[in-house]
Amino acid sequence: MFNVSTPMLNVQPIDLYAQRISDEKQASVIDGSSAGTEKRYAVLGKDYKDPDSLRKLAGSIKDHTLHHLDHYLEKAEAALVKNGAHVHFADTDDDARNTILEILRSHGVTRLTKSKSMAAEEIHLNPFLIKNGIECLESDLGEFIIQLDNDEPSHIVKPIIHLNRRDIAKTFLREGVSQTYNDDPRTITNQARVHLRKKYFEAEAGITGANFVSAESGRLVLVTNEGNARFGMAPTPVHIALVGIEKIVPTDRDFGVFLNLLGRSATGQQLTVYTQFINGPKSSNQPDGPEHMHVVFMNNGRTDVLESNCREILRCIRCGACQNVCPVYRQASGHAYRSNYGGPVGAVLSPLLFGDRFPEFADLPKASSLCGACNEVCPVDIPIPDLLLRLRDKAKREKVPSAGAIPMSPFGVLATSPSLWRTAMTMSKAMNHLPIEVAPIKPLQDWLGQRTLPDWHGGDFRKWLRGRKEKS
Amino acid sequence: MSRDSVFSKLRSTTSALKVRAPYPEYDSAVVHSAPRLEGSDLWEIFSRNFKAVSGRAMTTVDELLEFLLKDGSKHGYCDPSLFDAIGSKLVAAGLKVETEFDRERYDDYQFGITRGSGAIAESGTLIIDDFRTSRRLAALSPWIHVGCILRSEVVRTIPNAIATFGDCPNIIWVTGPSKTADVEGILIEGVHGPGEQIALLI
Amino acid sequence: MSDISRPVTKRVLLMGTCLCDAFYDDVARASVEVLEHLGVTVEFPEDQTCCGQPAFNSGDWATSRKVARHCASVFAGELPVIVPSGSCAAMNFHGNPLQFEECPDASVDSLAKRSWEVLDYIVNGLGITTWPGEFKTPTKIAFHRSCHSRGTGTGEAAMTLLASIKNAEVLSFGQAEQCCGFGGTFSVTFPHISGRMGSLKLDHVLENHPDVLTSGDMSCLMHLDGLARVQGRAVPYKHVVQLMRDSLVKNAD
Repeated sequence: MFNVSTPMLNVQPIDLYAQRISDEKQASVIDGSSAGTEKRYAVLGKDYKDPDSLRKLAGSIKDHTLHHLDHYLEKAEAALVKNGAHVHFADTDDDARNTILEILRSHGVTRLTKSKSMAAEEIHLNPFLIKNGIECLESDLGEFIIQLDNDEPSHIVKPIIHLNRRDIAKTFLREGVSQTYNDDPRTITNQARVHLRKKYFEAEAGITGANFVSAESGRLVLVTNEGNARFGMAPTPVHIALVGIEKIVPTDRDFGVFLNLLGRSATGQQLTVYTQFINGPKSSNQPDGPEHMHVVFMNNGRTDVLESNCREILRCIRCGACQNVCPVYRQASGHAYRSNYGGPVGAVLSPLLFGDRFPEFADLPKASSLCGACNEVCPVDIPIPDLLLRLRDKAKREKVPSAGAIPMSPFGVLATSPSLWRTAMTMSKAMNHLPIEVAPIKPLQDWLGQRTLPDWHGGDFRKWLRGRKEKS
Repeated sequence: MSRDSVFSKLRSTTSALKVRAPYPEYDSAVVHSAPRLEGSDLWEIFSRNFKAVSGRAMTTVDELLEFLLKDGSKHGYCDPSLFDAIGSKLVAAGLKVETEFDRERYDDYQFGITRGSGAIAESGTLIIDDFRTSRRLAALSPWIHVGCILRSEVVRTIPNAIATFGDCPNIIWVTGPSKTADVEGILIEGVHGPGEQIALLI
Repeated sequence: MSDISRPVTKRVLLMGTCLCDAFYDDVARASVEVLEHLGVTVEFPEDQTCCGQPAFNSGDWATSRKVARHCASVFAGELPVIVPSGSCAAMNFHGNPLQFEECPDASVDSLAKRSWEVLDYIVNGLGITTWPGEFKTPTKIAFHRSCHSRGTGTGEAAMTLLASIKNAEVLSFGQAEQCCGFGGTFSVTFPHISGRMGSLKLDHVLENHPDVLTSGDMSCLMHLDGLARVQGRAVPYKHVVQLMRDSLVKNAD
């Protein structure tokens, strides 16, 4: 077997990360991702004659909404307020964290449960609340395990795609969720159910995200399978929803398009088990549920993305299909992207969203062969490879240093000087007789580290053409 | 003020866009899934699709009783408005049925029977909402939940169901019992929500 | 790209690609021979060099635009530009519009509207769906559809032509949508991931024991064969036009 680790220097952080990942973790990620991809193809092919036209429709609805977001956001706010919900706006992550803390304090909340929210991960809400004396418990099984491990989710839909049952059993034993080691998935799930149920009833508030918000009715859509989000809103008097401003869609009817694409793209389901539509606190005749509903609409850089030439990424409905299909994600895993948004969507969103830290994330868009599989599976048809290329251009223009980048000016000179080019083609024939393995040209060395190079035939085609012309 | 800065940024950004995409008109029928809609009786189509996601569609109280007895579930909650039709029959068969849900004893309730508000045939979905559900916790906490609906409340497609929203502030589409695949992608049913989801025709 | 109407004529310009100029002269030759067999006259502008993709993918759009302008001027005119490479053709009609968004250029735009990948041209331009070729013996072919031909007519065109050759058996294999891992400079800036992707791809394309590995892009084949040789599992590889040309020569197999 060939040896990949010598003599190359894997200078790109994501490549280095992929090299160091454990075999077990790699296997978990590849199995989980491939299964997700297969399920998606199967269900879309079975249910629709032309799934691609549906994806394009969903993309157009999102584009229209984003291009008129000021109008639609205001409509959503008005509808929610009319139904008795409190609406807050947070321009920065600080605003969002502080607003949520203030709301909690105003209701005297000291412990709460939280269902899965990428927006909350984005602003590192949990550590902030805990630092401020509020017990903040993740209620989604995968996120609960992540929290126990002090780990980070590695996939936006399947947070523990990188763990196996043995990892989880050890964690449960260590943290006292289980009294003995037991790695049976059914048992693990039951233990989590029992442990968390008590917490649900003791909680004083529930925090959720939202998958979509209708500008027409203000309805927040929450899409889950476990029932934990429902538990954030049945026994507690306060519900807080943290929602990125790009989650708005024009009308309730439009939910029909997005809901039919989200489940299938994410997990191969037509609908997840629970699809909740909420646009106000509990109705007056209902004994259970929040009397107070707060919606925090968060910007945190989304307007910057809207302004940029990569605004299409805001269409994202967080299905994870791009992560599942991406061959680079499969090799490196979500953690390699150093952000809660990883994989193809993260490679575009993270450098842009955390705008003043662009140089820190500028390597993410390079971690791609531009294969386009992500765009092919995206339920809102985001042209991710084009966006990655635009970000590569941005990095070059802003002179962000790039590890191992191959300078292109020599190529530019050669490719715009036809006679130089033709000469170089024929002269390089000498390579066939030289020990090129020792030539101090890094890209060549990197190639030869694991692949052979074909023989150089520079100029032979042109020679053949000339030969024919002379004959005729 | 955060609201002001968010909206001023939004307004200046959207007004500067060279192209602002129009709303794409479309027929809701494009999202229908033909294979799932095969059949003419809405309850039959619903039952088939509900069963496919591990839901149980029942048409008589006897069916429900048989299930509960076999399952060994002896103690549960029933919406007072459904007591005559359902709860009393369970009591007659020896089960303990409360018409109040005491959250201090949440583990006592092995089943919860509440009034649903409809169903979606296409996706095998039971609809429950705040107006008709006597207690949210009774529909959520017990291992077995029974949502009771009328045949006339079954609609055909997802767009049809959306059209029935009205002004209820909390509507839940329930498509089978709760589940997770977080552990190695293996499907486990019964997580935080009910592990058995029943739709009962009344 | 199939929804833009591009010109179809019996006289074309050939963009040989820098890869064929350097390594795969026979692929360019086979392109000429196959097109001539269909009655097409092929011209080869001598001043051509490269489409500019390496600089474009690196984000050095200033350099890439210089190369693209040179390319556009070399291929100026109204004739279709035929390319035996999905990625170079895509550079012309997809990459260039992207990098010239802020500074539109009429000649680059003209090139975009006239560029065809060769197999797409044969089937969807010239309307040829049967290739009058025959292999001497039954030949199992593994066809790798390159990623840059996604969303174009190339993949299907290749399958149509290959399947029509007598004694050709086109194999199916798993995870066909997965990239081979070449990605241009990606292959050397992300060597570990590129190598792993390539090895995985080899596992799949070789799973049904093909006699020959083929594609519409020599870059993918160069990368896969390079890996396969080091790993001791190389099989012969040819561009689809080479297989088509070879199948016309009665003594070839």
